[in-house]
Amino acid sequence: MAPTACFNCKEARAVIIRPKNRHKLCRACFLQVFETEVHETIIGTNLFYPGERVAIGASGGKDSTVLAAVLKTLNERYNYGLDLCLLSIDEGIRGYRDDSLETVKRNAVQYDMPLEILGYGELYGWTMDQVVAQIGKKGNCTYCGVFRRQALDRGAAKLGIKHVVTGHNADDVAETVMMNLLRADLPRLSRGTSIVTASGASDIKRSKPLKYAYEKEIVLYAHHRQLDYFSTECIYSPEAFRGSARTLIKDLEKIRPSSILDIVKSGEDMAALVPSDGSQHSTQCSSAAAAAEDDVGGCGSQNGRTSGGEMAAMEKELAQNESAESRETEIRLPNRGQSSLGYQSKSVKKQTLGHCERCGYISSQRICKACTLLDGLNRNRPKTAIEVSVSAEDEETSSTLMRQMERTQLTNS
Amino acid sequence: MPAKESQKICMDCKDADAILHTRHRHYCGACFKRFLSHKVAMRMSKFKQMKKSNGKAPKLLLPLSLGISSSVLLQIINEDIGRQFAKTFVNVGFEVHVLVVDAQGGANDDVYDAVSKAFSRLSFTKLPLHSVFEYVSEMGEIIAEYANQNFVDQEQATNEDRLTAFRTTISSPTSRSDLDSVLLTRLVVEYAKSLNCEAVIWGDSDTRLAAKTLASVAKGRGASLTWSVSDGMSPWGVNFDFPLRDLSKPELEQYLSVCEELSGLVVPDAPISEDVLTKNLSIDDLMMRYVRTQGEKYRGVMANVSRTANKLQSTIGSDDPSCPLCGGLVGNVKGNSGVTVANQSSDNYSAKFCYGCMRSRPESSIK
Repeated sequence: MAPTACFNCKEARAVIIRPKNRHKLCRACFLQVFETEVHETIIGTNLFYPGERVAIGASGGKDSTVLAAVLKTLNERYNYGLDLCLLSIDEGIRGYRDDSLETVKRNAVQYDMPLEILGYGELYGWTMDQVVAQIGKKGNCTYCGVFRRQALDRGAAKLGIKHVVTGHNADDVAETVMMNLLRADLPRLSRGTSIVTASGASDIKRSKPLKYAYEKEIVLYAHHRQLDYFSTECIYSPEAFRGSARTLIKDLEKIRPSSILDIVKSGEDMAALVPSDGSQHSTQCSSAAAAAEDDVGGCGSQNGRTSGGEMAAMEKELAQNESAESRETEIRLPNRGQSSLGYQSKSVKKQTLGHCERCGYISSQRICKACTLLDGLNRNRPKTAIEVSVSAEDEETSSTLMRQMERTQLTNS
Repeated sequence: MPAKESQKICMDCKDADAILHTRHRHYCGACFKRFLSHKVAMRMSKFKQMKKSNGKAPKLLLPLSLGISSSVLLQIINEDIGRQFAKTFVNVGFEVHVLVVDAQGGANDDVYDAVSKAFSRLSFTKLPLHSVFEYVSEMGEIIAEYANQNFVDQEQATNEDRLTAFRTTISSPTSRSDLDSVLLTRLVVEYAKSLNCEAVIWGDSDTRLAAKTLASVAKGRGASLTWSVSDGMSPWGVNFDFPLRDLSKPELEQYLSVCEELSGLVVPDAPISEDVLTKNLSIDDLMMRYVRTQGEKYRGVMANVSRTANKLQSTIGSDDPSCPLCGGLVGNVKGNSGVTVANQSSDNYSAKFCYGCMRSRPESSIK
């Protein structure tokens, strides 16, 4: 079979079939097209301003490595004037994180960017290995996700940087849209797709420049630029099962390759259609809460998966609501401001935003998710010599205290 | 234990043997039918109220596919009307006209004849799908512009041939089923308008609505959910309503199994073939399968999907341009600053047709 010429330049031999639209491209054209699309996304959404300091949330995996490589290339090609650096979180998972951190360290040299590594142990007093030892392999992704969310913000604050970019790709965003639809989560549906989740409260802006890039193309890009990335999945992840949404999206991609992008488009439109109570204040809050709570699902490319337990629990709750309904008597207010056919005006519950009473991080609850989780962990932790001095009545403050103490311990050693 | 099972009595009338089971309750046939009818009546009550408020019974169009769901809806409504006629003071509350759209060249004509005879109290019309060219006079121009350059609409040809010619330009099952339902909706709407109907009452079960919601999202038609699966105003000035939105497909199937009036009057669903490769399915089929299989275990979660979509705010009434083919919004919903549309394609078509229709366009490809 004669080699096919590249769809773009019509000269070189095509070596790639683009997953997005099945165009056959040569290597140079593919890299060019991929970079240009990311550039268009950045320009189209006014993501950066000249001279901005930007931290790239780097895990050593394919998404963040490609993000770092592309941003560096584009920054030089189009003179964005960005001051880029890498920010890594060490969850403390031996056999996974220490290897991938080596990758990040090499990346820092390859791309000539400064690197900051922040550990869970140092921030929370718990490494992920210790968390797993305590609670087992089931459900530990929640801890990891919640902790990482705050860790990135704290890391950025430490570096004095106000903008963190993450490697979320189109597949991740599409998955989140389907997920939120399945779990009927309108507030998250209204913000999960936006490229920037600015948070008024912590003034650290989050964005995902790769949100229109296909996961498969990211892999191809990394391969053809021979990028140095770490491809082993988190060793704790095989335990958690990939959510319904993920399987569904993989099937959809087989039927119509464009559907990942189509879901992103639908998600963006639906986000604008989620009813709000109209006040400017509430919309600001919801986007800030997004920054605080978006990543509850878990980690990196697996963001958005759900365990079977979650779905079954929701099913149970819905069934109970329904059976309770038949025992209720509904009392309606007289119709007001309704159309002639009685279609009701629509409203949804909104989250209101405040600060965590413990750590000051933005949260829609009194105590933020991370502190709640830490409480649970610390309650069951075997008493250490340090904690003996803390009386039972002081349990409320013990977690913070302990965190501080361990930090002292760490700095000492 | 089967022995114990047979001793169950109906939890409603506490008299007859329970033969059906749904939502953790056991029912006899009659009580099961009453339960479903009640759910539909709750949804239909808004029309009766409308009559109370302005004294005129609203005209409703019921599109009947002759399949299970819409037939059950027809039966329940007909029964309700029958009950009203048996009273001294007849108060039906609405006027129902039934429309059957024939997309298969008269394959189900005998069933249609039997149904229209059995429900003699209601008026029936049958239209072939290609009559969309008659009812939407500009449809010829629209599809000529929409389809690729190889397709020329022959206006002098019969409508049937025009439709066939158009459909053959579309190669993928997803796009074909997508455009078929677009054309069907247009025909139903125009017919409803010709009869001055206030609303179209669609016979979609909650299973189907959930599948339709997920499929619309997957096809880039998320913005259309506010009317395609929600109760309210459609882009053409006729209300859309889904009275079966509280009932699942399996429940409607159970209804059919105990409903003598409908025996022989329903065209059974085509069996789902297990051999078809996922990649050859249409997105609509994939989603229907997904919702049905997941629905066995997570009924409530699936039912919640269409309820969630029903909460989205309608854009009807805004001045934003709408797609001449499907009626959806062209471009982004106000407030959506995403750049998917800009990424979409370089040709000028996208300025006229909506994102979803561009995806189903023959030989469409994305940049």
